[in-house]
Amino acid sequence: MAKQSLKYRIQKMDIGINIILFILVLLTFYPFMAMLFMSLKDNPQFIHARWVPTLPLHFENYAYAWKAVGQFVLNSIFVSSVSAIGGVFFAALSAYVFARFQFPGKTVLYMLIISLMMIPGVLTLVPQFLLVRDLKLLDTYWVLILPYLAGAQPFGIMLLRTFFEGLPHELFESARLDGANELSVMRNIAIPLSMPIIGTLMIMNVTGTWNDVLWPSVTISNVKLKTIVFGLWSFQSQYYSSWGPLNAAYTISAIPLIIMFAFTSRLFVQGLTSGALKV
Amino acid sequence: MTVLREFWHKKHLYLFLIPTFTLLIIFSYYPPLFAIYNSFFQWNGFSARVFIGITNYVQLFQDARFVGSIGNLLILLGWSLAIGLSVPLIVAELIFNLKSSKASYFYRLMFILPMVVPGLVGTFLWRFILDPNVGLLNLILEAIGGPEWRQPWLGGTRTALISFMIMGFPWVGGTSVLIYLAGLQGISNEVIDAASIDGAVGMTRFLRIDLPLVMGQVKLMLILGVIGGLQAFTSQLVLTNGGPGYATMMPGLVMYQEAFQYNRIGYANAIGVITFLVILFFTFLNMKYVRSSAEYY
Repeated sequence: MAKQSLKYRIQKMDIGINIILFILVLLTFYPFMAMLFMSLKDNPQFIHARWVPTLPLHFENYAYAWKAVGQFVLNSIFVSSVSAIGGVFFAALSAYVFARFQFPGKTVLYMLIISLMMIPGVLTLVPQFLLVRDLKLLDTYWVLILPYLAGAQPFGIMLLRTFFEGLPHELFESARLDGANELSVMRNIAIPLSMPIIGTLMIMNVTGTWNDVLWPSVTISNVKLKTIVFGLWSFQSQYYSSWGPLNAAYTISAIPLIIMFAFTSRLFVQGLTSGALKV
Repeated sequence: MTVLREFWHKKHLYLFLIPTFTLLIIFSYYPPLFAIYNSFFQWNGFSARVFIGITNYVQLFQDARFVGSIGNLLILLGWSLAIGLSVPLIVAELIFNLKSSKASYFYRLMFILPMVVPGLVGTFLWRFILDPNVGLLNLILEAIGGPEWRQPWLGGTRTALISFMIMGFPWVGGTSVLIYLAGLQGISNEVIDAASIDGAVGMTRFLRIDLPLVMGQVKLMLILGVIGGLQAFTSQLVLTNGGPGYATMMPGLVMYQEAFQYNRIGYANAIGVITFLVILFFTFLNMKYVRSSAEYY
């Protein structure tokens, strides 16, 4: 009897929690649902029924929006994948050395890297702009890649070093006894075992670069080189009253990230929850 | 000598570090030093620099726009810390208490999913919601309390700053929820079972067991929140550009405008340096006073 009532109480509690969480999910998602509704409206529909879905659906908004922001999306895909892959690759090389070897200056060099995490972006934005201007990199893809590669190093090295250090030593010893050199040990043992954390890091870097608007806004003026989020900023002031295409462009800006997330969400959700960020 | 010999013996290891340090020296070490140097000069970025000592810093604190922006920043920072720490913790606790692991995964996924929409798009969508004429919020307010409940939101001197606080409602940050969940899941079942035998359930368990055991996560997010919050100005840049008047001006936005609209590089850099010093101060406080037995990696 007592057992049954406890079970009943737990079930009731679960229902209550589910209701609260579900309401929170709905509220969190509403603006994005509204974006989808609005992206399929023509102007009369938008003016009369902005906040609810309407028929017919105007898919042509997407074609119109793609013409305006398609190039920006491709630019963003290019620069964020190159800077994420390159950034994580260089960070992994350094992290591996810090995790597996003793050498003179190790602590000092590591502290030098980690201390960069205390330097705020606000301090570096202006001098970094002057630097790339003097290097004649303004309005090139380089300016959208190189600083992000550098920016990915401190956190990436910290995270990967911790992870590499946690891998069992026996694996490395046996591989070395089999005559494998350091690079192939890293490639065949350390990297494959670290895929969840490397994936998590890649996603963080891709979204970071994808979402950045300040850096492109000061370094890119050539329309052909704009990234999507920066492009949206100018697009929305130009097309403020063509709401359908505007919201279609907003939706388009998220699609590549949605695709990436669809393939990696399990990895990411588990990577974060299982203490990839150890505290 | 032995150090040198060891260095020579292990020289190949340093090769691995070369790409990282090449990038860091050019793009990460040089710019902040350059900014500190420039902050003591009057410079438009093109012609010759004029050394003016600490004049930039003195002028900053006489600049009503900058001083006012600090107040705005503190209000928004306090708000974002309060909700950014508490709401995700409550949501994480709710998810943690779900019996079904399928449901738990569903909610974790749902709350992390908005991450795929660029932050700036979220900001623009909230501007639609806050639109004074046809926005959803005014529509709801009018339905509840009549036309006099409508607000100018981003356009009003008194409501503009509040508008930035409303954005993102209900403020469930997915990443923070996951970080808290990692902490909660680290609590051993024995502890929870022992507590429930002693009658610690619900609120008591939350206050006496869960909360103390996720303090590491709370502190991590506190320091990340302070560092991020002190620099925040993108939403203000794209929505109000600091207005109406200076009602939503942020220190970072003053810097952006000074550097990229008025070409006052030295003055702009002084703002960057001050922000850096404040962040350094908080980091120091954190390390000295709030760092617990939990280790940051």
